[in-house]
Amino acid sequence: MSETSTIDATASMAAAELADRRTRRDAPSARRAPAWLRPRVWLPTAITFAVAAFLWQVVAITNPYVIPTLDAIGASLAGDPAMYWANFLVTLQEVVIGAASGIVAGFLLAVVMAEFRLIERAVMPLVVVVMVTPIVAIAPALVVAFGFGMMPKYIVTALVVFFPMLVNSLAGLRDVDVKALDVFRTLHASKWEIFRDLRFPGCMPYVFAGLRIALPLAVVGAAVAEFVAAGQQAGLGSLVTTSAAQANLPVTWASIALLCVMGVLLVSLLAVVRKRVLWWSDGEVVAR
Amino acid sequence: MSAAVVDAGVRVSNVSKSFGADGARVKVLDDVSLTIGMGEFVSVIGPSGCGKSTLLKVVAGLIDADGGKVEIDGSTVRAAAADKRIGLVPQSPALLPWRTVLDNVRLPLTVNRRANAGRAIRDPKELLASFGLGHAMQKYPGQLSGGMQQRAAIARAFVFDPAIMLMDEPFSALDEMNRDQQRLGLLEFWQSNRKAVLFVTHSVPEAIMLSDRIVVMAAHPGRIDRIIDVDLPRPRTEEAYASDEFRELERVVRTALHEVMGGAHV
Repeated sequence: MSETSTIDATASMAAAELADRRTRRDAPSARRAPAWLRPRVWLPTAITFAVAAFLWQVVAITNPYVIPTLDAIGASLAGDPAMYWANFLVTLQEVVIGAASGIVAGFLLAVVMAEFRLIERAVMPLVVVVMVTPIVAIAPALVVAFGFGMMPKYIVTALVVFFPMLVNSLAGLRDVDVKALDVFRTLHASKWEIFRDLRFPGCMPYVFAGLRIALPLAVVGAAVAEFVAAGQQAGLGSLVTTSAAQANLPVTWASIALLCVMGVLLVSLLAVVRKRVLWWSDGEVVAR
Repeated sequence: MSAAVVDAGVRVSNVSKSFGADGARVKVLDDVSLTIGMGEFVSVIGPSGCGKSTLLKVVAGLIDADGGKVEIDGSTVRAAAADKRIGLVPQSPALLPWRTVLDNVRLPLTVNRRANAGRAIRDPKELLASFGLGHAMQKYPGQLSGGMQQRAAIARAFVFDPAIMLMDEPFSALDEMNRDQQRLGLLEFWQSNRKAVLFVTHSVPEAIMLSDRIVVMAAHPGRIDRIIDVDLPRPRTEEAYASDEFRELERVVRTALHEVMGGAHV
């Protein structure tokens, strides 16, 4: 957008230096190895997962009709990777397109609302009404309206993403450094210049807090939309419903696991991007 | 145009300002008049609630006065701002943390570009070097000490060659040793780059060291109680602190503040 939003090479180098300094300050005894390589960091997590897997296996072996064993799920995934991959891509497409539209729409409306209070007063009640309506209830209605194609899935996904983006971006655009704003005002900077140089970069911590909420929700939105309308292209959510109906538990749980993987991947990607873009921000903003 | 208007960098005439709802209005500025000549350094000192920061905000055009008028170089505050003739150094450095120090100092040149034409814009790098920040230009504000950040904020206000400089307790967030160093740095820079300065402060020695005149304000309602001339010779250096004239001025200013605050200790 402008020179301020794109981080050039020198900036990211400085960012690395900063991050380096921070970790050193946080853990003075730490050597150069990355934090996650130290057993103190990964061991508790690993133990928790091992215990959970063990308990899962115990339940699965004693109650085969409740949950499948982990090896059965693994065998199902390994048995037909192409089928799972195809469904994974369908759901991912819904998540990416739906979330991107919801993110952009939520942010843009936040910009308009931040500039014009009157529009916020006019539109916000309607937004809240839409948002308190259960998304599961809207989904079938959207299928009737838009058919069994991808469109209702994009819309449902965009809808669940929209609200956290709007609310967080708006909070960020409002939470401007007042003293810096005074400097801009004495310089007679235009509204656009204030947005470009102050409000837009300044609201990014809030935007990322919103994204942290919105991206997992996007996966929920896509899955729910598929529950209601399988359509020509299935997707992981449809796979869950159809296989559960046939009591094909390994497929059901393999699909659930893949939805989970998708969520984790999105959140990890977000964390990486956040670190590169928001190196200058001290703390994580608490999302609304 | 009268001679007085030409001489005045800033002319504040009968400005008044009240805050609060009807019935509970508090008069923050009551009939305040003040002239700051070109190249004159004027400090405003007074108890909290005397309206000194409000006065600065009115001159900066950040708050509209209820009555009276403010002229900068003979034009309105709005026209002066549009022409980028007002430099502001706020209480906190208010640097943009995502920009390098150099890009922060360049900021005033990149907004409201129309007003850049035909003025003596300074080279941001040279300016930073003269503020002792030559080595820190490519650093980010978060990597700098509080004193260095405040110097960068002052450089940002000087870079576009404004006619008047408004400083709102710029050193108040620093510890005393750092403060003294920063104020001597500002003194040195300003003595070779004379501008009209309106400087709000809490510190008596700071006001004396820097100023040509000290405006003592009283509170409830905020008004100018008296104006004290500081006739210490310039250029001043750290040695001025030790002079008898300095101590005498300190006594005079403290006595004035004492009276203004109704006998309370300063």
